[in-house]
Formats: sequence, structure tokens, C-alpha cells
Amino acid sequence: MDPLSWTGKIAFLDPFLFLALGLLAASVAVWVLLSIVLPEDRAINVTAGGASLSSGPRDLATLAVKAALMATTALLLSYLVLGLIMGTGAGIVGAIAQQFLPVWIALVLLFTLSIRYKRRLGLYGKLFDSPIGMIGFGLVMFWVFTGIFGAFDLIITHDPLAQVSGLKNKVPGTALRNPQEGDFQWYLLGGDNLARDVFSRMVKGAWEVVKIAPLATLFAFMVGITLGLPAGYFGGKLDTFLSFLANLILAFPVILLFYLLVTPEIVQTGLPQYMAIVLFAFPLIFFYVLINARYRTQPAKNYLWLAAVLLPMLILYLMVVNEPGSKVNLLPAVLDRIDIPGGILVVFVSVVFVNSPTVFRIVRGLAMDIKTRDYVAAAQTRGERPWYIMLWEVLPNARGPLIVDFCLRIGYTTILLGTLGFFGLGLPPESPDWGSTINEGRKLLAIYLHPALPPAFALLSMVLGLNLLADGLREESLKD
Amino acid sequence: MNKLSDYDGPVLEIDKLSISFFTRLREIPAVMDFSVSVQPGEAVGLVGESGCGKSTVALGVMQDLGKNGRIVGGSIKFKGRDLAEMSREELRDIRGNEIAMIYQEPMASLNPAMKIGRQLMEVPMIHEGVSEKEAHARALEVVTDVRLPDPERMLNSYPHQLSGGQQQRIVIAMALMSKPSLLILDEPTTALDVTVEAAVVELVRDLGKKYGTSMLFISHNLGLILETCDRLCVMYSGEAVERGSIADVFDEMQHPYTQALFRSIPLPGADKNAHPLVAIPGNFPLPHERPPGCNFGPRCDYFEAGRCDQGQIQMADVAGNDRHATRCLRYQEIDWNAPIVVGDQTEKTKPGEVVLKIDNLKKYYEVAANALFGGGVKKVVKANETLSFEARESETLAIVGESGCGKSTFAKVLMGLETATEGEILLDGKNIEQTAIEARNTQTVSDVQMVFQNPFDTLNPSMTVGRQIIRALEIFDIGDTDQDRKQRMLELLDLVKLPRAFAERMPRQLSGGQKQRVGIARAFSGGARIVVADEPVSALDVSVQAAVTDLLMEIQRTEKTTLLFISHDLSIVRYLSDRVMVMYLGHVVELGDTDQVFSPPYHPYTEALLSAVPIADTSIEKEHIVLEGDIPSAMDPPSGCPFQTRCRWKGEVAGGLCDQEVPPTRTLEAGHQIKCHLSDEVLERMQPVIKLAAE
Repeated sequence: MDPLSWTGKIAFLDPFLFLALGLLAASVAVWVLLSIVLPEDRAINVTAGGASLSSGPRDLATLAVKAALMATTALLLSYLVLGLIMGTGAGIVGAIAQQFLPVWIALVLLFTLSIRYKRRLGLYGKLFDSPIGMIGFGLVMFWVFTGIFGAFDLIITHDPLAQVSGLKNKVPGTALRNPQEGDFQWYLLGGDNLARDVFSRMVKGAWEVVKIAPLATLFAFMVGITLGLPAGYFGGKLDTFLSFLANLILAFPVILLFYLLVTPEIVQTGLPQYMAIVLFAFPLIFFYVLINARYRTQPAKNYLWLAAVLLPMLILYLMVVNEPGSKVNLLPAVLDRIDIPGGILVVFVSVVFVNSPTVFRIVRGLAMDIKTRDYVAAAQTRGERPWYIMLWEVLPNARGPLIVDFCLRIGYTTILLGTLGFFGLGLPPESPDWGSTINEGRKLLAIYLHPALPPAFALLSMVLGLNLLADGLREESLKD
Repeated sequence: MNKLSDYDGPVLEIDKLSISFFTRLREIPAVMDFSVSVQPGEAVGLVGESGCGKSTVALGVMQDLGKNGRIVGGSIKFKGRDLAEMSREELRDIRGNEIAMIYQEPMASLNPAMKIGRQLMEVPMIHEGVSEKEAHARALEVVTDVRLPDPERMLNSYPHQLSGGQQQRIVIAMALMSKPSLLILDEPTTALDVTVEAAVVELVRDLGKKYGTSMLFISHNLGLILETCDRLCVMYSGEAVERGSIADVFDEMQHPYTQALFRSIPLPGADKNAHPLVAIPGNFPLPHERPPGCNFGPRCDYFEAGRCDQGQIQMADVAGNDRHATRCLRYQEIDWNAPIVVGDQTEKTKPGEVVLKIDNLKKYYEVAANALFGGGVKKVVKANETLSFEARESETLAIVGESGCGKSTFAKVLMGLETATEGEILLDGKNIEQTAIEARNTQTVSDVQMVFQNPFDTLNPSMTVGRQIIRALEIFDIGDTDQDRKQRMLELLDLVKLPRAFAERMPRQLSGGQKQRVGIARAFSGGARIVVADEPVSALDVSVQAAVTDLLMEIQRTEKTTLLFISHDLSIVRYLSDRVMVMYLGHVVELGDTDQVFSPPYHPYTEALLSAVPIADTSIEKEHIVLEGDIPSAMDPPSGCPFQTRCRWKGEVAGGLCDQEVPPTRTLEAGHQIKCHLSDEVLERMQPVIKLAAE
């Protein structure tokens, strides 16, 4: 087999793309220059002013930027569509476009449905009114779908852990030497220094992020909310104490904390597990007070709900926390059905631990603001207990800023996971997560650029997407 | 710079102005076909309910409609020049120089990080390029003009060091710095207390005369308009409905909306039993749901189908009056002098037994000088001093006073959110003053409930209306099953005259008046016997106020509730209360039947309050009493009588007794208590503050 080139038979589009990109850069430069040199448009209404301003140089420059942008987008889209049809015929780009087919289908479905019913979907629907938010959401969902489908082995071309002889550090598009029947015949983005497929590892890495980052952020929110609400609502000594604690954690160097937590000596003392016991208990506390506050006056309903929600959570909690052979071994082995690798647990615990103080501060501030409202006073004068007021009167009305922060925080967590992987902390050495892959690629970066770039680009686009999504949500939640 | 001085036409001429806001979904017309002109030296009032577009007109004049707003028709001419044709730089010259604007919230117009003097001096330095020295002299002059004490010190202070009334005076001074020819005042006194409001209004009127400034005065308060303006323009749902001189519009109104508006405000003479207020039926139409033809049609008593709901209705001049116009097709057919169809007259309810007895109640707060370590000298704030009164079943007791008088603190102590420092609160003979709300039993809690002031804040925005009422029922142990409670919730919605479909609505889908009704339903859900209504209608529009007030009265009559009505609005207090308690700086200064309190002898503070309330009736003559200065801080109350710093009768008391001793509570006649050093002879000499001119 011949090695694949980048664009294969659709190479005829390349000059046009370069041209469009060049034009875009030039028009942006001219536009910036003009807006510095030329004075601002003054007339507001040009009915009697004479010269129409729509043909002024500034407007022309704006028009040019728009046109160049449109052309570039159209060209990029045609690469994608042609690639989808022609597959490997359109080179590496085509092959990758075709491999991502399930993701494209899922994205198109999601967007058509959402835009169709956006007026009925509340804040989520409003997101589709903001171009920024839509781009961000698209980027995020691209990686989420990639992660999910990748976990089902749909997108990858090779086993991310398998080494194929002769492909060590080979450039993108290199063909396999002795392909078996049914094997994909190329390493689309080349091989790394252990001759594994970079493309498949990048796709698999998305799953590592998608499965840890949102969940860890959710746990951080549970902890932050459960502590932040009383601190903000009651104030006083409790607030002083909890805020001091939060400052203490925030002041501790994060990387050093991670190194400490994964040190074998520390692991043997059981510290990460004790931390897990404390941190994972917060969702239990949260749901207990949530339900109890709501159904306090109707004991029968209260117990039913508490049992239905808390029992499964408690079992899950015990299974997660329990680890045979360590200091925390409460359950008999038969019952311990969930086994989380120690490394993942450490990663999870540390991410929750360092994120929750910031969430705590946000929630505390919001609670302090909202507790002065009349509906809180109304709840107090009808004798509601503090936890009901905090969870049912204050928290729902603080949701806007919290949702935005949730999106941003998933981004931070993703970067944090990347950092952890980069330092090789917590995760197994052969793990395909982006941080580890970048670190491995880094070692030979001067000679072989290709193994480190795809995961770095993936990390960048996902975090960018989350930040844009948060921006879009913030912007839309402020509108009417 | 060069002011367009040699021009003698109208200062401002708005002709057939239409303004729309553009949202994602649709165009929302905010102002339609609006015309008004302001002559030099004239003050024109713009009156209407919230959402009628009066502030949009002001923003249109300033050409500051934001991104979404656009003028879609008509013109705004300032001294003969069309503002829409001016360039941005010309506009910048005019704003703040020729046209100045004063907003509702003084703190929002002042830069908190800059000294007052600097901010004032900026105006002439930017617009006229005068030297710093001259600017300083000018600043000193206007600050003296707005009657602020110690002008030099004022110029040297930061905005937060001044009280609300002083801040608003500074904003007025800033607007006058450049001697503008047009001053736009957008609800300039709404955020201020009544006595302070009276002083600011007087100031604005005098300054307008002194500087010859034309004014566009925007307000929802007809009484204020009467006191400040020469002409007025009544707006309804984006349109001007009536325009004319004060005398013409007040006495010979030619539009049904104006008439309805006057009938829904409590003027002297209105009485909750004999002459109840007539509320305007229905709701204000949303800008995109306006009816065809006359906007007021669906709520109008004189509506004629087939005529009033057809086409665009134009302004028509009323013959015989000076520039008096109305937007009504039938104005010549309607008998404007027909007597009001008196609403349901009701029997005056007899007060029952004493349910609530307050005896010598005191509430002090300790404020630590150093918040972090709790050390240092502690200051005591005396929020309530020796409060004693009784409230009977199905009685309305009004508690009147300005901000900081301790009425909210009293409500908190009564509700159990705070515990009393000293004294007793007896509910049915049982002491509750030391029982915090958590320790009270369900019966006590549901007996004493509260209706809150701000309708936009009183309901939890993320819970349906029905759910919020059901929650109150759950807490008060009412109903055995969810079905019971749901049924009871629907009945409560009936009680406050809301459609049952509202149970599924979110609070943001309700208007202010509807929200307040839900708040009332929630307060009565546990069969409350004592309801503390903390300014329940002051944030509502006048036409809605009447409806909500009547609803409260009606529920009170059927449920035999004791209503503690906290308010600063004496007109409404006179209308609905049986007894009145006037508070000042934590003290009860006067307590008695409504008639006793509203007629002489008064406590000097009550007298000033009565004089300060604007009354929208041209046949009323008021004695003019303007209190000097602001309410003292409760942290640092004056020695002796709390009111002595502002009292105009202080000279009548011999030996400086007012400075030294808190006056004892004296009983004048059956149940009329007063806390004053004035001798009986002096009290006898007091004249009524409000008189009908005919008498």
C-alpha cells in the first residue's frame, strides 16, 4: 500500500484554501488598520446628511472580512463533505472525516432537534440564539460524542495499546507493512515512539476526559454547595471558619498536593481513601437534607423518598469507598462489586478537593445576596427550617451563575486532568489520556512533532468549547 | 459652548413620536404617536402607570435608547432643531449642557469614587472649558442654591457620606451647573422619604423659577404633578391620552382613563365603608397585545363596541380650553359631571376583643465598633423604645413613619425573627416576645403572618404559584392529603380573585398586582388572625393599588383579621385604617383614632407628615410645612425629644425642655396619645393642615 497524502484526490482545493486564508488575514489587517486611522462614524441618522456611509472604507473592510471568512468556512466544509464521500481517496483528511461519521450524524441530529424545539427548551434552547454558544456547544459535544463512540470502539482504527512493528515514530499516513485481513491499512496520524496509533489514542483519550471531568466537577459542586450555603446563610463564626479552611486549601500548591497524594507512603496510610470517604459523603448529605427539608411535614412521604434515593446511593458509596486489602475494608468481598483503580480514585479525590473551595466561595456569595430577598423572609415568617430555605428558596435562584461556572469548571478540570496525566500522576503509564500522550510526545518533540500535536489540539479545542459555551450561556441568561 | 440663545419658540417640541424596541421575537412599540411641547420656563408633567412609556420618551429626548430601541416615526425638536439629525458630537454638547436629566436613584448618577466637588466642577470644565477656579466658585454657588448645609464640606465629601436626600440635591445641583434650558426629571423623589420628598419638590420648583428652566417632570404621582407642574400629559399604554393645563385636566378631565385614575386614588373624603375606591377593572395591556382602536377600550366604562375598537384614534382638541386635547371619540357625549356610581357600601365593622397587646416593648441592637474581633466600644441602636398599644379583632391599625423609624424592627420582633430586649407582646394573653420563630408552635406561626412590600421579590421566582401556596399549607398542617391541599390552594386563589389557572404559572408571568395577591393568599393560607402588611401597595401602580387595598379590606371583613398596616402614605392610611400610630426614631409619637390623628391637635411630626403628602385635588389647600434637614441616625439619636432637631414648635416650650428630656406620653382625649412637651394651650392653637378651599 502507498502511504496516504494529506488531501489525496481533493488536493485541487488546497490552493483555494491557502488563498482564502491569505485573504482573510489581509482583510483583517486592513480592517484593524482602518479602524485605527479613520475616525468613528458620527452621524446617527443619515436621512438628510447627504453622503450615505454604507460605502465608506470602513464598511468595505468589514464586508471583506466577512466574505473571506465565509469563503474559508465554505472551503473547510467542502473538505469535510468530500472527505466523507471519498474516504481514503481524499487522503488523511478524508479518512478522518469518514472515521468520525457517527459523531457527525449525532451532532447533526442534536442540532436539528434542538434548534427546531429551542423555544420550549428554556435556557438550553436560548443557547441556540447565540452563535458563540452554539460553536462552543458544538465543540464540546463533538468531543463528548467522540468519547462515547470511542468507548464502543466505533471511531478508532487500531487498538490504542497495540504496537505494530515498523511504525515507530512514522509520519501521518504511513501504511501498515503487513496488514491482516480487515485491518485499517494506515496509521492516520502516524505512530508514537512505541509504534502505537496516535489517532486511536487521541480518540480513546477523549473518553478518559468525558468520564472523569463532568463527574468530578459535579462532586466538587456538591461539596461546595453543601458547605457554601450554610456559610453564606448563617454567616458569623461558621462562615469565618469555613472560609478560612477554603483559603487554606486554595493557598496550598496544587501540584505538590497531587505528588503527595500519589506517593506510595501516603497511599499506604490510607489518606486518599479517607479523603474519598469524606468527600463522597457530601452527595449523601446533600440529598438527605434536600429531601428531608422538603417533606419534613409529611413523615410517610419523607421516609419513602429518603429510602428510594439514599439507599442506592449509600450502597454505591460503600462500594466505591471500599478497597480490599487497604485500610478501608468494611464490606465483604462479595458485595464490593465496583472496583475503582486506586489511581483513578486519587485523581478524582484530588480534583474534587482542589475545586470545591472555589465553588464554595461562589455559592457563599450568592447565598449572602439572595438571603436578603423578601421570599426568604416570607419563608422565615412561616417557620421554615434553615435547610429548606437554603436548598429550596436560595439554591434554585442561584442556578444561573452556577450553571455557567459548572461549564467553565469542567474546562479547568479537563486541564487539571491533562496536567496530572502529563506528570504521570494517578493514571497507568499506558493510559491513552491526553496529558500522558502529550508528555510522551514531548520527549521526542524536536525530531517528531506529530505524536504530541493531536492530543494537544484536542485538549485545546475541548476547553475552548467549554469556555465559549459558558460565555454563550452567560450572555443568554442575562437577556430577557 | 454657544447656546442656541436667540430662539423663542418652544424649548422642546415632540411631534408624533413613535419609539419601538426590537427583540428577538418581535418589534415592541413602546411609544406611539406622542406629541407634547414645552414652552420656555414651563414645567410639563408626564404621568402614567409603569410601562406606559413615559421614561422611554425621556430617553428618546436624550437620544439614548440603547441598542434595541429606535425612533420609528415623528420628530423631537429641541429649540427648533431636530435631535435625530445632529451628529454625535453635537449631541454630546447638548446633553448635560442644554438638556440635563435627573434619575430616580441618586447614587446611580454619582461616581462613588470621586469627591462631590470634582464631579460638579467637571460639568462646566468640559462643556464650557472654564478654569478650575471658576468652576469651583460655580459649584459652591449651586450647592448653596440647593440649600445644603456647609457647602464647602459638601464639596469635599464622597457621595456615600451623604444621606439619600442630600445626594438627590447634589444630583440636582449637578444638573443645574451648566444652566440648562431643559431639565428632565424621571421620578426624582420616588426613592426618598415623604418629608424629604416635600423639601426636594419645593427646591425643584423654586430653582425652576429662579433659573427659568423648562422642566419635563415624569411621575406616577398625580399629587406631585399638581404641586410642581403647569401643564400635564397623561399617558396610557404608549400613547398620550390627555394633555392640557393642570386646572383643565384635574377639574375638567375629558378622558375616561384620567377619570378612572382619579377615582382610584384615595383623596380626602374617600372612606373604605361609605365611599370605597373604584379600581380600574382588568389589566394593563402588554405592548404586543394592545387591543385594536382605543387602548383603554377593554377597561373603559364608556366603551362602545364597533366604534371604540376601530382604527387609530387621534387626539382631538377640547373646545374652550387652552391647548387641551384628549384621545377619546366619545368625550363630547360623556357626562363628565355625573356622580360616581358608589361601589358596594359596607357596614363599618365593630372591633372585637383585644387579640394583641404590646406593653413597653423595647428592641436594642448592639453594634460592635470592630466587626472582625468583636472588641472595642459597643454602640447601642435603640430601634424600638417603649412601644405600648393594643390591637383588636377585625381592626386596622396603621403604623406610619419614615425609613428608620423602627416599624420594620417591630414587625420582625412580632413575627419572631428577632426577640425583644424588654417588655411584652401578648397574643391572646400569652407572651410571645421571647419565643423565636423556630420555637413557636404551628398555630402561633400561622396566626401571625406578613404581606411584603416588593411584589417582585415576594415570590420565589423558580417555583410555581400553586406550589408556593401549597408549601405554606403543608407547613401550617392544613389538609390531610395532597388532594386536600390542592383544593384549598385553588380556593385561596378564588379568595384573592385570581383565575385558578394561575396555579401552574411561574411568578415572572404575573404582573405586580397579581403577585401581591398571591402574597396575600399565602399569608392567609393558615387562617391568619393578625396580618402585618408592610407597605403592601406602595410599589404598585395607582389603579392596581385600589384593587389590592379593597381585596385586603374585603378579606379582613370576612375573616375578622387584625391588620397592622405599615405605611408612609398618609392618604391610604386615612382611607383604610381605624386607628393610626405614628412612629419616629423608634418612639410612638402619636396614637389614636384616624379622625383624632388627622385633625388638630397634632404632634408636630404628624403635622409635618400631613403637609408633606402630595394630594391630587385642586380644591385642597395645604398649610406649607417643610422640615429642615434629614432624619437623624438611630445610631446617634438627638438628646431629649427625638424630633427636637426638626421641630418647628420647639420655641414654644420653655426652658429648653425638648433638648433634655424625652417627653412623657400624654393622653389627650379618649385613647388619643401624644408624646410631646407642648402645653395644652399651644396644642389648642393648632390649625388643620388640610382644608377644602371652599370652606
